[in-house]
Amino acid sequence: MPQPDWAHLDMPEIDFQDIIYFAAPKKDKDRPKEIDPKLAETFDKLGIPLKERDVLAGVVAVDAVFDSVSVTTTFRKTLAEKGIIFCSFSEAVKDHPDLVRKYLATVVPSSDNYFAALNSAVFSDGSFCYIPKGVRCPMELSSYFRINARGTGQFERTLIVADEDSYVSYMEGCTAPMRDEQQLHAAVVEIIVEKGADVKYSTVQNWYPGDADGKGGILNLVTKRGICKGDGSHLSWTQVETGSAITWKYPSTILKGDYSSSEFYSVAVTNNHQQADTGTKMIHLGRGTKSRIVSKGISAGVSQNSYRGLVRMAKGAQNARNYSQCDSLLIGSRCGAHTFPDIQSQNPSATVEHEATTSKISEDQLFYCNQRGIGPEEAVGLIVNGYAREVLSRLPMEFAVEAQKLLQVSLEGSVG
Amino acid sequence: MGHGRYIAPPKGQYQVQSGEKLELQYVILPGESRDLEITVDLAGPGAQAQVKVLYLCRADEKVRIRVVMHHLAPECHSTQLINGIAGGQADVRFDGTIVVAPGAQKTEAYQENHNIVLTQEAKVVTKPQLEIYADDVKCSHGATVGQLNADELFYMRSRGIPESEARTLQMLSFLSPVIPAGREEEIESAVRSL
Repeated sequence: MPQPDWAHLDMPEIDFQDIIYFAAPKKDKDRPKEIDPKLAETFDKLGIPLKERDVLAGVVAVDAVFDSVSVTTTFRKTLAEKGIIFCSFSEAVKDHPDLVRKYLATVVPSSDNYFAALNSAVFSDGSFCYIPKGVRCPMELSSYFRINARGTGQFERTLIVADEDSYVSYMEGCTAPMRDEQQLHAAVVEIIVEKGADVKYSTVQNWYPGDADGKGGILNLVTKRGICKGDGSHLSWTQVETGSAITWKYPSTILKGDYSSSEFYSVAVTNNHQQADTGTKMIHLGRGTKSRIVSKGISAGVSQNSYRGLVRMAKGAQNARNYSQCDSLLIGSRCGAHTFPDIQSQNPSATVEHEATTSKISEDQLFYCNQRGIGPEEAVGLIVNGYAREVLSRLPMEFAVEAQKLLQVSLEGSVG
Repeated sequence: MGHGRYIAPPKGQYQVQSGEKLELQYVILPGESRDLEITVDLAGPGAQAQVKVLYLCRADEKVRIRVVMHHLAPECHSTQLINGIAGGQADVRFDGTIVVAPGAQKTEAYQENHNIVLTQEAKVVTKPQLEIYADDVKCSHGATVGQLNADELFYMRSRGIPESEARTLQMLSFLSPVIPAGREEEIESAVRSL
């Protein structure tokens, strides 16, 4: 299987022999009951300090994945009472082998693509979540991924199964401390949505993007896919991508059940030498399926930001409907913004609409802000937040605040 | 992976210099399988280009339309409008790219592609793409794939217009922005043959 080269990315060669495929935390024998201060610092950077998390304790359950073994899983009891399974993958394999066997690799088979194959071969842990029939998950489930050992590739696997008429909101946050060499992250996320179920999947990704000269940073090569298996099911993707040196990520939905629907909301920010090639795939198979894509790209510095999306209306997609909107915002004259949509229709009753615009922050807008005593940096932050509002408002509350801060931090120094 | 940077496409068929305006118009009639490739370089400041394509398919035609609009100089203006109707077992594909080279500031580039699919067997693939390496630009593209509006059809039928006539009227109005002057009758009879 060759490494794919169709993306609009300038990718350094990856030495797959030079990657540590399994790294357990240092204190593996006596797992700490409390999260150590260095990790707390990372959470601080994320804008959710531990103390605040205590306050939020009743709301968020965290399955934190540090290096390759899950250190802590909280709130399992409350969830267990409802029959919800939320644990690390290694535990799921031991405790619920039937469920894992039934659903694993049904959405993303090992032969799917180069990086999914790599993940399938070497993945050691991840998160597993199962919501039983008719259960509405009472809290936001959350998993924090973090790469902290030098030269460690992280190969995580997430499997979310929402059984009939259930609901879950799942959040994923990613962060990596500063490292010189490029680190590889090749994760796979699979989501199965049964009849009448509703899954909301949110991501805030702020991995180390490399320094101002483009040295170091994470290579984020992720395969995320969900299937709306049953009739009337719903899957919603929301992502805020501000980190990573290279992002290669297309959260996709297969709309198989009749009248199922899916949404994709994305904000991707690139600054300095960052490159992002991200978007979605909506594959309409069932009758009356609906999808909506809203993508906002922001590029600054000398970065390249691409939207790549596929909307396919198969023969059986009677009366299916899609609407896509992709906007790009350019800050500075040396960056690039690109749109690569692919629309395929094989059904006369299906309707597909795609719209894209490219623009920059106008002098007038900046002048207006400056005139009222708002500094240039602050003004850009303000305008960018307004531009991304449609997507940010879809995020769960705690995440939205954090994401807003992140946008501002990522664009620091981009106004000249 | 190794092409995240600006790479100039090969030299185009048409070079438009400063102060010049290029207008291209193509009509692809039923029964015609065509592989249309149009590459335009807007090479001088202020150059303008307009591309219009109309296609109609009713059998097993294979229509390929490729447009590359390459903005090399500042203050250039381009529009693309590609409208068509696919019936029968037609296989239609549109690849449109707007490339705005670094330094081509004050560019205005618009691209629109609208398709109507009439039958279950017809297939339309559209890839409208933007590659932009300058910041002071106004670029947009829009693409739609759909069917004739049922409400409009109902409106006309409720006023005594027969269904086939109403459908013809709808198709003609859909195509009207790309129908070249003087060829209205020819296009109308082609639409009636669908």
